[in-house]
Amino acid sequence: MEKKEELFKKIKDALVNFDVETIKKATLEAVQMGVEANEVVDVMSEGMEVVGKKYESGEYFVSELIIAGETMKEALAVLEPYMGGETANKLGTAVVATVAGDIHNIGKDIFVTLMTTAGFKVIDLGVDVPAERVLEAVKEHRPQILGLSALLTTNLEQFPIIVKKLKKEGLRDTVKVIIGGATITKEYAQATGVDGYAKTALTGVDICRRWIQGNRS
Amino acid sequence: MTGMTETFDELMAVYEGREGRGVVFQPRIKHWYDVNLAAGTLPKKYQGMYVDEVYQDLGVTPREVWGPGGAGSEFAGYLPLQTKEGDDVEVWVKQTHGLFYETEPHDYIITEYRTPVGTMRQIQRRTEYGTSLYNVEYYLKDLKDIEVYKYVLRERKYLWKRLRYSWGMKRYGDNLPLRVQLPRSPLMWLMVGTMGFQRTVIMLWRHRKEMEELIRLLEEEFEKMLEVCQGKAIIELSFGDNMHQDMCSPPYFKKYIIPFYQQLMPKIHAMEVYTTSHWDGFVKQLLPLVKETGLDGLECVTPLPQGDVTLEEMKEGMEGMFLRDGIPAVLFCPWIDLATLEEHVRKLLKLFYPRLILGVSDLLPANAEIERIRFVNKIVQEFNESL
Repeated sequence: MEKKEELFKKIKDALVNFDVETIKKATLEAVQMGVEANEVVDVMSEGMEVVGKKYESGEYFVSELIIAGETMKEALAVLEPYMGGETANKLGTAVVATVAGDIHNIGKDIFVTLMTTAGFKVIDLGVDVPAERVLEAVKEHRPQILGLSALLTTNLEQFPIIVKKLKKEGLRDTVKVIIGGATITKEYAQATGVDGYAKTALTGVDICRRWIQGNRS
Repeated sequence: MTGMTETFDELMAVYEGREGRGVVFQPRIKHWYDVNLAAGTLPKKYQGMYVDEVYQDLGVTPREVWGPGGAGSEFAGYLPLQTKEGDDVEVWVKQTHGLFYETEPHDYIITEYRTPVGTMRQIQRRTEYGTSLYNVEYYLKDLKDIEVYKYVLRERKYLWKRLRYSWGMKRYGDNLPLRVQLPRSPLMWLMVGTMGFQRTVIMLWRHRKEMEELIRLLEEEFEKMLEVCQGKAIIELSFGDNMHQDMCSPPYFKKYIIPFYQQLMPKIHAMEVYTTSHWDGFVKQLLPLVKETGLDGLECVTPLPQGDVTLEEMKEGMEGMFLRDGIPAVLFCPWIDLATLEEHVRKLLKLFYPRLILGVSDLLPANAEIERIRFVNKIVQEFNESL
C-alpha cells in the first residue's frame, strides 16, 4: 500500500487533471488505510485551489472548473460511506441565489462549486428567486454570507430591495452580502448598500473567505 | 443622415468597407418598449404609440422588420428560414399561461418532439412581463435524447418565407439591406439552446464521440439552409451565437467554432453575402482568434464597463471587420453620468468609422433613460456633419 503522502499527491493531481478513475481509486485506498474522510476532503480542496489558480492564470477556463467539480463529486461519492454525517462547512454557511427575473445560472453555479470546495456549506436557492424567498432562507439557515447574482440590468433593482427587507427584519447585521454579475459596477455596488461585489466567482470566494477569517482573528 | 431613405447606402458602405456619408445609429429599443408597455411605465408621450413611431420620434432607424416576430425580437423580428419537420415527427406544444404579460410562476410552455425513436421535451417560462423566454428544462438531457434529436435533424427541411420576405421588401426594402437570421453555430446551439452550458461541457467530457457526431449533424443543417438562401436578395447572414468565452473557451473555439466557420465561409462569400455573429458576452480571449473564422463583422461586442474589452482591444482584434453596436447597455442607465456616455460614443465613432453601425450592446435596458437615445443621436449627427 502506498504512503499517505503519495496517495494525497495522487488525489490532488488526479483532480487537477480530471482523472476520475485514479482519484476514486486513491480516495478509496486512503480511507481504507485509516485516513479520516475530512483529511481527504482537505486534499481535494487543495486540488481545487490549484484548479482555481490555473483558471486565474488563463490556463484553465470555466469548462475546466465544471469538469473539476464533476471529478470531485465522483471522489466524494466514494468518501460518503466514511463521512459519518460530517459536513464540510468549516468556514460557515452561505445562501446563494440569482435574483427574481433573471435566470442566468453559470456564474452563480461556479460560485457555489468554489464556495463548497473552499469549505462553506452552501444553500443554493437557484435562479429567478423572489426577494421574499431569499429572506426566508436567511431566517432559516442564518448564514454568514448571502451571495446574490444578476446579469440583466433590469434585475439589478432586486439587490437594494433585498437589503431593505433584511434591514426591516433586523437581519442586515447578521449577514455579509456580496453581489456579482457582468453589469455591476463598483459605484452601483456601493450605492446598493451591500458589503461587497465581485466580477468573477473566484474573487467572490476570496472576499467571503477573508470576511470569515477576519471575523475569527 | 438619420432619415430612413439614406440608410440603405450607408449600411452598404459599412458592409463593403468604404466611406459613406456618415454613421447609422440603430439602437434596439423593443425590449425597453415591451417591458415598459407591460408594466405601464412608458413615458407619457409614448403611451398609445407603436414602437416604430417611437423610433421615428427619436430620429433613429429600426434594424430589421422582415421576421415573424416573437418574444424579445426587434420589430417583427429577423427573417429566419421556416423549419419543416419530417412527416413522422409530431411537435406537441402546451402553453399553460393566459395573457403573456401576466404569467404566473406556474405558467409554462411545454414542447415535445414525438418521433418513432422516442420523445424529447423542453419546458420554458416567460420572463416577468412576458417579453422573453428561458429554459426550465432543455431538450437534450442524455444520450437517449440525442438519438431523438438526430432523427429530428435528419428529417428536417427548411423553407424560404416568401410572403414575409415580400412584405418586408415592400415596407423597408429601400431602406434596410436584407439580413437573414441563422441559428447559433453548433456548439453554441447546444450550450445556449438545446442542452444547456454545464450539461454540454460534461457530455463533451464524458461522451465525446456521441457529442461530436451530433455536432457534425448540426453542421450539415447549415448546408441545407444555404441551399434555400441561394439566389435570394440577401445581403447578410447573421449567426445568433451569443458568444461568451466563459462558455466557449479558446480551446473550444479553436476545436469547434473556427473549423465550422472556415468550412462555411467560402460558400457564403461565393453567394456574395456578408456574415456576422452575435458576440454579447466576455470575449477578450476570443477576439484574437476571430479573424480565423472569416466572418465579415461582429454584432454586439460589449466593451467595458459591462464587457471585458477596451475599444482599442476590439479595434485590434477585429481588424478588417465591421462592428455593429458598441455602446454598453448599462451606459443608458440613470446611475451612469452623461459625460461617460458621451466620451464613450465619441471614442467609438472615431475608432471604428467607417466600419461601424452604431447601436446598443445589446438591447436598451427596460430601466434605461430613453432620452439618452436622442442624446447619442445628436452626437452622431454632429459627427456626420463633421465628415
